[in-house]
Amino acid sequence: MMEMTKLNRRTFLKVSAATGAAAAVAPRLLKAMELELAGKDVSPVSGVQRKAVPITCHFCNIQDGAIAYLENDRVVKLEGNPEHVSTRGRLCPKGNSGMWYSYDPDRILYPLKRVGKRGEGKWKRITWDEALTEVAAKLDEALKEDPNTIVLKYGRNRTGGVLDRFMQTLGSDSIINHTSVCESSKKVGMEPAWGPDIETPDFANTKYVLNFGSNVLEASYFHNPLSQRVAEGRVDNHMKIVTFDVRLSNTAGFSDEWIPVHPGTDGAVALAIGHVILREDLQDSEFINTWTNVTVDELKEHYKQFTPEWAEKISGVPAATIERIAIEFATTKPATIFTYRGPAKHLYGSYNEKACMMLPVMTGNIERRGGYCLPRGMSWPQPKPEPPKPAKHAYMNKHHHPLYPLASHGVSHLLPFHIADGTMKVNVYFTYQDNPVYTNPGARAVWGKVLSDETLVPFFVSMSSHMGEETALADIILPDCPYLERWEPESMPNSLWPWLGIRQPVHKSLGESRENRILMRDIIWKLDPDGSRGMRKYWEFKDGEDYMRHHFDNIPGLKEAGGLDFLKKHGVWPIYGKLDPRTGKIVDKTGREIRAEYGLYKKELSEEEMAGAIIDENGLITKNGKAIGIQRNGKNYVGFATPNRLINVRVDEWAKYGFNPMPTFKRIPWHETMREDEMILTTFKLNVHKQSRSAAVKWLAEIAHSNPAWINTETAKKIGVKTGDLVRVESKVGYLVTKAYVTEGIHPKAIAIPTAFGHWEYGRLATLKLKEKKPEWSHGQEDPDFNNVWWDDKGVHPNDIIPAIADPIGGSQAWFDTVVKVTKAGPNDKYGDVVADWDRHVEAFKEGLRYAYTGDLHRKMHPEMAHWKGPEEAGHESEGSHL
Amino acid sequence: MSEELRVSPIETRGKTCVKRYAMVIDVRRCIGCLACQVACKAEYDTPLGVNRTWVPYRVVGKYPNVKKQFLPRLCNHCDDPPCVRNCPVGATFKVEDGGFVLQRYERCIGCRSCMAACPYNARFMLPSHRTYTPITNVVDKCTFCFHRVNENLVPACVQTCIGRARVFGDLNDPNSEVSYLVAKNATQVLRPEQGTKPHVFYIGADRNQTEFARDAYHRPEVMELERAAFKRHFKI
Repeated sequence: MMEMTKLNRRTFLKVSAATGAAAAVAPRLLKAMELELAGKDVSPVSGVQRKAVPITCHFCNIQDGAIAYLENDRVVKLEGNPEHVSTRGRLCPKGNSGMWYSYDPDRILYPLKRVGKRGEGKWKRITWDEALTEVAAKLDEALKEDPNTIVLKYGRNRTGGVLDRFMQTLGSDSIINHTSVCESSKKVGMEPAWGPDIETPDFANTKYVLNFGSNVLEASYFHNPLSQRVAEGRVDNHMKIVTFDVRLSNTAGFSDEWIPVHPGTDGAVALAIGHVILREDLQDSEFINTWTNVTVDELKEHYKQFTPEWAEKISGVPAATIERIAIEFATTKPATIFTYRGPAKHLYGSYNEKACMMLPVMTGNIERRGGYCLPRGMSWPQPKPEPPKPAKHAYMNKHHHPLYPLASHGVSHLLPFHIADGTMKVNVYFTYQDNPVYTNPGARAVWGKVLSDETLVPFFVSMSSHMGEETALADIILPDCPYLERWEPESMPNSLWPWLGIRQPVHKSLGESRENRILMRDIIWKLDPDGSRGMRKYWEFKDGEDYMRHHFDNIPGLKEAGGLDFLKKHGVWPIYGKLDPRTGKIVDKTGREIRAEYGLYKKELSEEEMAGAIIDENGLITKNGKAIGIQRNGKNYVGFATPNRLINVRVDEWAKYGFNPMPTFKRIPWHETMREDEMILTTFKLNVHKQSRSAAVKWLAEIAHSNPAWINTETAKKIGVKTGDLVRVESKVGYLVTKAYVTEGIHPKAIAIPTAFGHWEYGRLATLKLKEKKPEWSHGQEDPDFNNVWWDDKGVHPNDIIPAIADPIGGSQAWFDTVVKVTKAGPNDKYGDVVADWDRHVEAFKEGLRYAYTGDLHRKMHPEMAHWKGPEEAGHESEGSHL
Repeated sequence: MSEELRVSPIETRGKTCVKRYAMVIDVRRCIGCLACQVACKAEYDTPLGVNRTWVPYRVVGKYPNVKKQFLPRLCNHCDDPPCVRNCPVGATFKVEDGGFVLQRYERCIGCRSCMAACPYNARFMLPSHRTYTPITNVVDKCTFCFHRVNENLVPACVQTCIGRARVFGDLNDPNSEVSYLVAKNATQVLRPEQGTKPHVFYIGADRNQTEFARDAYHRPEVMELERAAFKRHFKI
């Protein structure tokens, strides 16, 4: 009877809410004939409708749903997929120009073998059979010694598990990622706190945004889908956005307020904002007491130390501004924050990330409409059988480094030092969509040196479609396919609606290029032609499409819709609604905008799920030894994806290694001792480029091809330079000479140089060697448009002079911490000079290790952890915990 | 507008049964991503060095009170277009139903009168090399994606606009989104003093950028080096 009443009441509420919504839109019921926003494309010259193939974009890693439009079997246009709930038919400038990966005149289309010295640029075209035979022979030798001497390092891996399958088939644990040069400290700051490694801010429905150092309108995780919602929130929902950044990025320039901070001090500002909120009693006490592992009183006590005056001294942000922003943030509901790499890419990046994350937690903005939401993703099954995990652990891999036990996403940028000192022995080195010789700290001086050394890396195979800085040092190049010619499964939590997507070839792969899963299969087939070695059974599939069937044909819901065939036709599943030509939003059958589901952690466990479960005195619900939920106020909720199903403000695991388990901030020690004439070098991405692989894309290169260093007007006056003048930027590991861009839009103590420029490889356009004749390794079709290239400045790449330092918690490269001296260039300085020294890089690397939990400076940096017993205590537990 | 006030017989405003296409650019929503500029390049195989649409920016204010302003630009498809008046061979014309200002490539003699007449710098000469389109060495310009609009599709730049800053539609239809935006918001047009009656309306643009607006073309100092390189190397 009770149940009946409840249901009726709910239905009644639903009906009345719907009527209310209809009344609200009533004044605009008269609909005009609006033009369609997407879905087809015609040629402006012939008027012929272009053939459409739905794909998932993979220019960068946002994974926008897209449609490739073809004329004469060639992609001429790329658009957003209107059926995609995140992308809603739109693409960024990078996504719009993705066909130039495929049609780059300097694309590699045939297997190549080095004939000159390593890196000399002399290549011979060989057959696939020759290439595979040589690779298989080298693998055989390496397997005899130790499978872990086969190292595979990848940059962008969207294969959906193929690289792991390959390495596990070989029995090697030496699979290395790139996350530590990306956002790993952010992930490590968040995971122990609430489970997932990223947030989804509900920008469209929020009223207030605190953006700490993210440049979401140009780059960052989920640029396109999130930017759409930022614009929507700002204009349709009248939200306010405040950006803390050292530089006037497009995001800062768009924001209602740009508050410049001293580089590396966002964390202190976030803590001081928290201090004001707690001092003024503006926190959401019920949320804190119910859903976190601390009480309001504990939190208030802990935050007492972080006064706005303390933060002002460190960050330069006036205490009054901090007070004002704190009160605005706490009293405006809903509100959210966003961070990406800004706070995280510092020596103590994970502390900074956590300090920021505490703001939506203490104000109870978690998982609310317009708040700070959990990511929504979907997964897919792997083809069976699956190879077992390797028997023996490598010294380091994609989620483990013994000196950085909390860095669950690895510390990949330290690999060359470990290859050089012998801790990582290499017999065969594979690279896939990676270019650390360009993208990593130390660049040429570190990675270039190690990968050029045949005693350290005896055999080097690059799976690449382009002659990048790293591929140029390879012994064998296996021509991989760009994303428009690959099969790949996709899902990305880039909006509040989960989805599965597909990448499918738009046409036959050009030349003799083979997509990654095929070429890896071919290597395994060569090693184990008859299956007698037990490797081949993991690679029994006809082609990429066949592989996708294993992923997609048995997913409940998708299976009924048609499985892979549905995805081939639509590119994405599920389809939540139709793109409304009037509003650009996704609407349901009744014409109303679809609404996301909120409060995921408050989902109640069903009776079935609760059967056989045990509830302990803290309310933790466990079943078969696994925590499945938490009891709160008499209800059984799923809670958060942490071991105690709560948000962990206090992360006890950190304390085991002598790190402060509570939100805190550490100043970068070498910033405290900076001299008056020194500055801090930061790097960034521009709206039209990604890290290393876009310089050969002509439309983007035309918009941005050089990277003068941003210097504040006042600072420039002191140094005596104006825009266009040469400056010399010197760090402790080297120096470079570049042009200055004098602007009001940067902190006077910061110098900012964008990356993606200054290539010395990557084809004739990226290196501006267009007058030279087509190299022998280049197999693409020439583009007459290259005659129109008018720019003559390719920029200067800064990574050589940035030392490799890792966050002792998150393992991130401390990209934005480098102290440099900036002076007007001398008479002998030439534009483009880059000088960096391996020995000085090694010294800097060793200095960085002193901050690791085993290092001598760790304790000095953590006086508050005096009770910590020392690394010996923690050491044993760390072994294996991340493997 | 009454018939007597019309300056030009080809105007589309308020004419019954005639469409009057316009673009509203809400710069409050523009994130400066340049997707529009690149989508346009793809749509038309536009060669390097020239653009049908482009997005200049400027940085205003003094540290730490600084803003970045973007002003997406394209042909204004004027109701009274000076380029049409100035073309000696009738290569440039206005489509009566819709108001598109278009170019007949086969008639264009490349005299550049239209380029000189346009107060918006919206026209350019095509260089001799293009990737796959055979039309070269004539004047080209934005067409408001005439070929797409005919197929009931919005222009390519509107299609891809991430912030949905660009909205396209029929101003003669009082219920269209563009009519609604123009009615509900204060709008500006570029260089109204020229009397061209533009069909690109801006919401939220800085009036220093739009009126008597040499400033609209004022390029940041950092662009001077680029300009010099362009002058040195770009050959038609």
